[in-house]
Parts: sequence; C-alpha cells; structure tokens
Amino acid sequence: MVYIAIRGRLLLSLGMLSAAIIAFQLALMQVLSIVQWHHFAYMVISMALLGFGAGGTLLSLFRQRLLKRIHWLLPVLMISCGITMSLVIYVSQFAFIRFDSYLLFANYAHIGRLLLTYLLFFIPFLLGALAIGLIFDHYVALIGKVYFANLLGSAAGGLLLLALLYFLLPHRLPAFISFLPVIAGTMIIPVDHESSRFKNKVALFLFAFIAFISCTGSIIIPPQLQLSQFKDISKALLLPDARIKLEKASPYGPIQAVTSPVLRYAPGLSLLASQPVNASTAVFINGDWVGAVTGSSQPDTAFILNYTSFDLPYRMADRKDVLVLQAGAGIAVAHALSHHATQVVAVEPNAILVAALKHELAADNDSLFYQPAVTVHTQEPRNFLFSDTTHYDLISLPVAGSFGGSAGLYSLHEQFILTKEAFLSMWPRLKEGGAISITAWMDYPARNPLKLLATLTEALEQLNIRQPQHHIAAIRSWGTISFVVTKSALTGTEIRNIRNFCNQWQFDPALLPGLQPTERARYHQLQDSSFFQNMDQLLSTGRDSLYADYDFNIRPAIDNSPYFSQFIRWKSLPRLAEYFGNRSIPFFEIGYVLVVITLVQIALISFVLVLLPLFKPGWKDKSKPGVLLYFGGIGLGYMFVEMVFIQHFTFYFGHPVYAAAAVITALLLFSGLGSFVSGRLEGKRKLLLLVFTVIIVLLFIYAAVLMPLLRQTAQSGLPVKLLIVFLLMAPLAFCMGIPFPAGLSQLARTQSPAIPWAWGLNGCMSVISAALATLIAVEAGFTMVMWLAAFAYCLPLIVLIFYLI
Amino acid sequence: MVKQQIERRGVKDTVVLKAMRTVKRHAFVPASQAGNAYEDRPLPIGYGQTISQPYIVAYMTEVIKPQSNFKVLEIGTGSGYQAAVLSAIVKEVYTIEIIPELGKSATEQLKKADCKNVQVKTGDGYHGWKEHAPYDAIVVTAAAEYIPPPLISQLKEGGKMVIPVGSSFMTQMLILVEKKKDTATTKSLLPVAFVPLTRKK
Repeated sequence: MVYIAIRGRLLLSLGMLSAAIIAFQLALMQVLSIVQWHHFAYMVISMALLGFGAGGTLLSLFRQRLLKRIHWLLPVLMISCGITMSLVIYVSQFAFIRFDSYLLFANYAHIGRLLLTYLLFFIPFLLGALAIGLIFDHYVALIGKVYFANLLGSAAGGLLLLALLYFLLPHRLPAFISFLPVIAGTMIIPVDHESSRFKNKVALFLFAFIAFISCTGSIIIPPQLQLSQFKDISKALLLPDARIKLEKASPYGPIQAVTSPVLRYAPGLSLLASQPVNASTAVFINGDWVGAVTGSSQPDTAFILNYTSFDLPYRMADRKDVLVLQAGAGIAVAHALSHHATQVVAVEPNAILVAALKHELAADNDSLFYQPAVTVHTQEPRNFLFSDTTHYDLISLPVAGSFGGSAGLYSLHEQFILTKEAFLSMWPRLKEGGAISITAWMDYPARNPLKLLATLTEALEQLNIRQPQHHIAAIRSWGTISFVVTKSALTGTEIRNIRNFCNQWQFDPALLPGLQPTERARYHQLQDSSFFQNMDQLLSTGRDSLYADYDFNIRPAIDNSPYFSQFIRWKSLPRLAEYFGNRSIPFFEIGYVLVVITLVQIALISFVLVLLPLFKPGWKDKSKPGVLLYFGGIGLGYMFVEMVFIQHFTFYFGHPVYAAAAVITALLLFSGLGSFVSGRLEGKRKLLLLVFTVIIVLLFIYAAVLMPLLRQTAQSGLPVKLLIVFLLMAPLAFCMGIPFPAGLSQLARTQSPAIPWAWGLNGCMSVISAALATLIAVEAGFTMVMWLAAFAYCLPLIVLIFYLI
Repeated sequence: MVKQQIERRGVKDTVVLKAMRTVKRHAFVPASQAGNAYEDRPLPIGYGQTISQPYIVAYMTEVIKPQSNFKVLEIGTGSGYQAAVLSAIVKEVYTIEIIPELGKSATEQLKKADCKNVQVKTGDGYHGWKEHAPYDAIVVTAAAEYIPPPLISQLKEGGKMVIPVGSSFMTQMLILVEKKKDTATTKSLLPVAFVPLTRKK
C-alpha cells in the first residue's frame, strides 16, 4: 500500500487537524461569549459540531466515491477547513448575518440570521470532520493508532488554545488556529504517488499557497467584533466621551476598562444622600459588567457605599479584619478601608484583573491594592477558605443578581460561592462577633433575596443554630436588600445601631429581632406584604411548602448543583405567561431557555442525520440496532463524563479554564493510550466486556466518592491536585478510549459500510449529551449525570453480551 | 390598543387615555418595527434601548397624576414617545437624552408630531435641568441603579417621580418616589393585575 510510506506524516497531519478543530471550537466560544453571551456560544458550537454527524452521513452515502479520491481529497478538505476557519468570523460580522440574542424574541428576522450563523460555523467543522472520517474509514486496520493521533491532537489543541488565551484577544485566535489545518493538508499532498498527475499536484500546492495568504491576511487584519447593543459595555461606550482605557487578554475572557465622565456607580443610594456621585471607571469581562473602580483615598464621609444598604455590617459594629471574597474591581475593599479596617484580605481568582488593578488602573483606585492594610490572593474563594486559618470580623460577598435582572443570562453559571456549603465553610473563619454580609437587588418577582435568605437559614440550621432569625439582619433601600449573618446572636446594641442607621438614611429593616410589621415599609412601600410573608415563612416550619408552591425555584443551591441564578420552574410557565405575556417568558431566564432550545434543535437535526444513512441500500439490517446502541451509548457516556468532570474540577481548581484544561488533557491523553492498545483486544470479546464493566463500576464509585474526596483534598497545592486528578482519571479514561476503536475494528470485519455511520452517530450523540448533561446537572445535580453516564455505558455492554454487532 | 391593552388593565384617567389615542406610536418606532408598533410589548429602538410597552407608558403617565399646568422633566427621551404623550396633557415637558443620535431623532419626531411644548436636550440626565426646576413630576425612563440626588432636589414639594425597574423587554415594575417635607419615600407599583405569586388561583 503506497500510503503506508506516509503513515507517520498522515498521523501527524491528523493530530494537527484534530488540534485545530478543538482549538477553533473553544476560540469560537470565546468570540461568541463577547459578541453575545456564552449560551449562544454554546448553542452555535453545538450546532457546528454536528459537522461530525453530517460528515458521517455524507461518508455513509458517498463512501466509495469519496474513498476512491482520498489522496487528493484529504489535503483539499484540510486546507479548505483552514481557509474557512480564517474567514468565518469576518463573514459572521456582516450586518445581514449578525444576530442578537435579545432580538431573537422581539424581532423574528433574527432567527433567520441565527440560522445563517449556524450554517456559517458549520462549514469548517464539516470539512474537518469529513477529512477525519475518511482517515478513520480508510485506515480502519490501524484504527487504534489513528484514533490515538486524533485524541492526542485534540488534547494538544485544547492546551494550545488555553495558552493562547493568555496572550491573544479572542478575535485574533481563529487566524492563528487556521494555519494548523492548512499545514496539515499541505503535509500530505501526495508528491510521490504515481497516479497523481503533475497538474493536480501543482493545483494542490497553489491552493495551499492561497490558503497561507488568507490565514496570514487574517492575522494582519483581524476581524472587528460587533458586540450586541444590549451588552453592558456597549451601553457604557455610548456615554459621552467614553473610551476604552484598558484591554487585556485573560483566560476568563478579555478584560476591558471603560472610562467616561458620566459613568457612576451608587447602587440603591439613599434618597437623602446629597453629595455628588463621582464618576468612576468600570471594568468589564467579555463585555459584561464586573464592577466600578473608585478612588479609595477619600475621607470616609465621601465614600458612596456608606450611603447605601451595603454599609449595614459596618454600622452594626467595628470591623477591623475584613475578608472580601470575589473582590472583582475592588470596591468592597475600598469600602472596608473607608471604615478604617486594619486588615483587608481580598480574594479574586482572576490574576490578570488583579494585575490590571495594581498597575494600569492604580491611578483610578488610588493604588488600592498597595495599601498596607490590603492583602490580595488570586485564588478561587472556596479554595481560599479551605486553606485559610485567619479569623475575621466580616466576610463580604459580591452582589447576588444584577440590577433590573440579567434576564436569566447567568442561570447556568456555576456559583460555588453562593451554595449552602460555601456559607458553611465561611463560618469557622468568623470571630465570635463576626458576620457575613451579602447584598441582592430587589427583583420582581422576588427571587434573589428569597433564595439568599433560604440559603442562609438552611446553613444556620445545619450549624445547629436553633433560631436563625436571631442571627440574621436585613435592611432594604428602594432597590437593594442587604443581609448580615452574625456568628453570635444579634445584640441589643447591634439592633439599636441598625435601627439608627435605617432612620438616618431612610432604609427599612426587613429582618430584625423584635421587628414590628409597620417598621418594614416605612420609607419604601411594596405593592403588598407577600414579600415579607415569604421571608417569614422561610424562617419558619412552612419553608418546604413555600419551596413547593412558589413560582420560582428558591431552594438553596448546593455544590452538587451550584446554579444559584437558576430560578425557572417549568410548571410555573403557563401562569407566568398569563401574568407577563408570552413574549416576556424568555427574558426570565434566557440562558436556560436557550439551552433547552439548543437541545431540541440538535436532537432533531441529529435524528435526521442519523436516520439518513439507514435508507442506503446494500446494508444488512440486523446490525443497525446494535451499531446504534453501541456507538450512541459510548458517545453519550463519554461526553457526560467529560462534562461532569469539568464541573467537579471547576470547584476543585477554582477556575473553569484550568478545570477544562486538566480534564481535556487527562481524558484525551489516557483515552488515546487506551485507543493505542485497543488493537490487542481485537476479537477478544471477553476482555472488552471487562473494560465496559470497569468503566461502569468506576463511574458508580466516583458518583459516590468524588465530591467528598475533592473536598478532603481541596486545600492541597496545585501539583498534588493535578496528581490526584490524573490518578483519578487515568484508569477510567484509559478504559474509555478502548470501546470506540474496538467497535470500529469489529465493524471493519463484519460490516464495513456501517463505519462512517457509526462514527457520525458517535459525534451526534456527543453533541446531544453536552447540552443534556448541563440540563441534568441543573435539574438533578452532578451525581445524576455520573449515574446516567454509567447507564449509557451499559448500552454497548448489552450489545456485546447479545452479539448485536 | 387603548381599549384592549390599557383600559382593560385599569388605566382610567380620561386625559391619559385621550393622549394615548392621539399620539401615533408608529411614528416613534424604527421603520423595521412599524408593523409591531401597536403590539402589547416593548420594542427595540437601537443603541440597546427600547420603547416601553404602551400600557407601561400610560400607567407611568397616570401615576404622576398629570395636570394641564404641570411642568414635567423626563430623563431618557429614547424614541420621544413618552414625551409626546406627556406633551398632549401637561403645559411643559423637558426631556434629556444622553445618546446624541436618539436625542436627534426624537427631536425630529416630536417636531413632526407638532409637540411645541417639548424641549429636548442631549446630555447627562444626572444633573437634571436646573434652569427650569422645580418640576411637578419627573419621569425617568432610563433605568439607573441609583436615583441621582440632583433630581430629588429639583422635584417640587409634593412632587412625584416614577422609575421603571427590571428587564426592559418585560412588563416592568415601577418605583414611585414622593417628596414630602424634605423626605422622599418610595412605593413599588405593579402594573399587572396582581395576585401574590405564591397563592394558587
């Protein structure tokens, strides 16, 4: 076989193409997170990944014709994949294609634009997938090595992108990645193949040259991203004399600081406050508001938060040692200093943001992070709490929810800082007179304040505090509600101080021992008293009935399902639609609605793609159900495992990017090794049965012990954590790398026309399971996803037991 | 629109209803949205802004109890529709828009609609419009997470200020600020027929 000679090159080329596809997928996600929101990123990418399903279908339908031309078709497909990668972002920014998330539900023309965007991003994936599918099919005899190259390349691509994120702004990423498929394709242009005519070779090299020009051009002139007009930063940039003061790449997304003489921040300011609200610089990540950067060396009478409900903890008692979790742009740190705190520990996971606040933005915050009282830790708050041994007078948390609601854009955002366990882990860090403070926006219908109170109450009960109401104080402005939870029962002095503060600045106490009903709405009346009734019910034995009856999910978030901002309950939708109108419904929780829509779309399209090849003549019927169960099951199971590991390790590493890097690398690397040895299992059905049994057993064990194990070792250093992760994942991932190539080998012996279908099927199921895993995690928790992954792996086991393929 | 969306939901002030019938909403929405002008929902007008649903405009107008001798300040002109509705009822309307393009197009539309008693200014609404203060009422249509102190000081004793809170694509909750004896109190107003959400119908 002539191709044997270039097998090494081909494997390298396949690895590069696989790396490019994964890296391009992650880069597109970043780009779309900026121009829209990450749910759309997810939606479009899922759609694009259906390229694999479509690739499998095309191969099924035109298999012989495509395989016959594989020598020149492979380079053409790879080079085309590179060219399209370099161009799609430009095209997606044309006015007639650009869609807007919000307008999808307000202007139906945008649905058409969304479909065009789908189609556009689908192209490079389809081209790349076709190339990979052709290689899998043509070299099925070497499937172990081929799949190994594919997985190893994918792992490298994930890591490459993560490295690039530190140095390049997202709109520059695709251009760099697009070189990989072009190089991969150029490498395998058949130079010594007798049947390839000189003309063909010249044409291929010329094509490669044009591709290099295109990729280079997109590096020199990167596409300009047009952000949604509804993004926070878009609105800020419309302000008079607004300018972007700072722009930095970061693994969390690009950090931008905007300054304007009219940009001010004074959340829920007292209506009696008469001093001017000074302009501040605002920081955005991915175009979303992070916080205001305000000067900190002002006399405390001028510090704006002192005239908001945020000031409550400082009015109750002296707070000398303060811990600020998720410090963001640092306003809570400045607030603590304005009250003469002697030690302020700021914890902010985004090191690049901290560096910007220390350098480029130091003039805006009066060198806040250089103040002798301030210590900064670039760690995830939960991880910090695991290792910290200091005791504090106050632990300050970031605002829950956003002004006017975020239309549920954060519903699928994992917030480990707002779970019940998070509050439990803060408790030991408090001094005897210490307190935790957190503020939420008063939303309508009430969601954030109630869920917050439910979380605080349940946490206190778990700490064996019999009367939580003696430990919680809450006050309301016209727009905010601030909670303070005290370690010791509220003292008479504290209660008096709270009342004095409320009277001085016209806030209303909402929770306070000995509170009279008339006190609750003296200055800020609500439409009715149901909000207070609900608060009281949360503190009473009627809590569970409120959970059951309330139209939104206000049960506390837990580590197993850390979605604090997920409030939607499907059964309430008809009633809410009746209240607010059908058109309003998506805006309650756009994020969640979109993932559901995504899942439905993908399921429908996958169904079509998977069904199509079944109508192809000349294919024995008896193997179809077996192929469907076997490859569908491993596609579903593999992605479930990947998703649930990323979710778990986000908690562990405190950083979704590191978690994704660790999981993608470990999973793909060890799966690659499994794939490499899979050739030795050929025809050894019993061994394969054992592999599946090991996978299922391990998944059940992990479902039970993974989270506790991670909690036990959460305070370890990064090297130890990485070692633990690799040890945990190695056996499972190794075994999970075996079934796919082993299954394809089996098909090659008995039913080779089914190979592309099996591969496409596996791709489709992987995409479906990515969206499905998220929904299951939200509704039933991570553990359930793990169990379902185990169940998915039972399907191929059944196929093997009953000789269905 | 007025009968179905506004009267049926409880807006009774005849002066407000008349103004809602008189002012042509389609003149204040972008051409691409003209077909949806009389639908019961907010509409996008560009620059990340929306024109509120007709019912909210009517409700906000009714809430300030407008009289023919009133001087009203509006913060956030947007499309100019709210100013046009106010102009049909009160003596003088002063409106401030921070985005120059919106300010310009609203000025043109208001001129076309023959609203002679409206003055539009492009600028920062934070400082209000001192030259014409004090005002009988202030209508804030641009959501801000704080109420600028200068606005409260430009409100007459007994004056009312109304502010929408919530996603601009939904029926919003309104905050009514009332100034009495140098203090300001607020009331949350819910424009939808209200049954507490926890009670089953």
